[in-house]
Amino acid sequence: MEEQNYYILFPNVTEGLKLEKQLKENSIKYTIVPTPRELSKCCGICIMYEKENEDAIKQAVEKQGIKTEGFKSLPKRKPAVKFI
Amino acid sequence: MADYRELWSNLGMDLEKHDVLCAVLPELYGGVYLSQKNRPEGMNYYNFVVSEVHGLRIKELDDHRKAGGKVVGTFCVFVPDELILAAGAIGVGLCGGSQFWIEDGEKVLPRNICPLVKAIVGAKVSGTCPYFQSCDMLTGETTCDGKKKAWEILSEYAPIHVMDLPQMKRDKDYKKWAEEIYDYKAKLEELTGNKITEESLSAAIKLCNRKREALQRLYNARKALNVPISGKDALLISQIAFYDNPERFIEMTNKLCDELESRIKEGVGVTGKNSPRIMITGTPMAIPNWKMHHLIEESGAVVVCEETCTGTRYFEKPVDETQTTMEGMIKALADRYLNINCACFTPNKGREEDIVRLAKEYGADGVIYYNLQFCHTYNIEYRQVEKALKEAGIPIIFIETDYSNDDTGQLQTRIEAFLEMVK
Repeated sequence: MEEQNYYILFPNVTEGLKLEKQLKENSIKYTIVPTPRELSKCCGICIMYEKENEDAIKQAVEKQGIKTEGFKSLPKRKPAVKFI
Repeated sequence: MADYRELWSNLGMDLEKHDVLCAVLPELYGGVYLSQKNRPEGMNYYNFVVSEVHGLRIKELDDHRKAGGKVVGTFCVFVPDELILAAGAIGVGLCGGSQFWIEDGEKVLPRNICPLVKAIVGAKVSGTCPYFQSCDMLTGETTCDGKKKAWEILSEYAPIHVMDLPQMKRDKDYKKWAEEIYDYKAKLEELTGNKITEESLSAAIKLCNRKREALQRLYNARKALNVPISGKDALLISQIAFYDNPERFIEMTNKLCDELESRIKEGVGVTGKNSPRIMITGTPMAIPNWKMHHLIEESGAVVVCEETCTGTRYFEKPVDETQTTMEGMIKALADRYLNINCACFTPNKGREEDIVRLAKEYGADGVIYYNLQFCHTYNIEYRQVEKALKEAGIPIIFIETDYSNDDTGQLQTRIEAFLEMVK
């Protein structure tokens, strides 16, 4: 299988920031990124994470009752730079 | 994901057209920003701001307006943010840095003018910029001919107040600029229904100075031998400074600077110590114009400073905080703002001195003179700047471009040849 990037989507920005706080407190590496178009047509934040941390993140999500719109993945590829 | 379509629709936006912009931003941001190696963790905040650029911040402006507050759009670093804040309004920088808006700009403007002016007008005419749509009043100024005449077109779409910026720096010009600031104060009081008091203006001066300090601290970190942050990340932060909530921006930028200062102590940099250090001087780079920085840094160099309106001109030299009377504060504002060295002034010797000083302070190996097409004042001023830099022994190259992708290959070749020469 090709290499993947992993993302967590949220129903709103507040839930995303709640999870960010947890990740920071638990020193779990993450990157906030604009939601890839392939995953949702609504723009806004999502969180990109490392696969090895998935279980720990899922535990934090459950424990804190954070609402997500799912854990997703996309094949890793070099994004095209076309200035807009 | 959060659905902002109802909010955009209430702002009178063209949702279908706007969606084209939304569709391409994540990919561009991924390619320019997220693909960088060894980025500071504190950049997550700015990733967040960009991801929510037409979302959360617009919602905040909307909440402010629903509570009776006003939003004021500006286009130039000569317009004092302090007055907007002191009137209880929110200021947003509206300069357009996207090719996306050029086509609509050209529907009402001639083609052979500066892309920044075309993009500003195109953004409003097309109804695809939610910041424009959130403004209760726009503030123009008479810096360049393109903008000056564009206000007449924009006034058909939104209320606009124009500040008449003197273009010489004699005593009488400082007095005249102070008068313009008084007029702006009255205009803002009328718009908001709030009186600008000595207390509110003094607090706003202090707030804006804290923002300037945070940006100066960020720039100071870029002077390190092992540069702890890329030029394009620093550019993004400057661009965001124009529309983010000031208190939040100051807090997050200072947090990032803590990280950058630790990086410097630990010798952690974004490129090797031997990467050529480049300074940019010239015309502004409004969001999402990341073209020049991207090309330079993809060629293995690092941008260490920008002597531009989206760089040092925005934050250098604080406003005198010791004034306690309205007259004293307005004079302090006039003195600080008119002292910015823009090419629309004649003569403009101060800019040459700034460039030479900054190139030395930031240890630049070379300077790229960035000129947006059809910007006559900066274009003409190159001759003097080139002469001053040659005398100081600092290599310089002139690059004229726009927002399109048409010339990226050619620019890459020229930049690479220049980098070869400076190192």
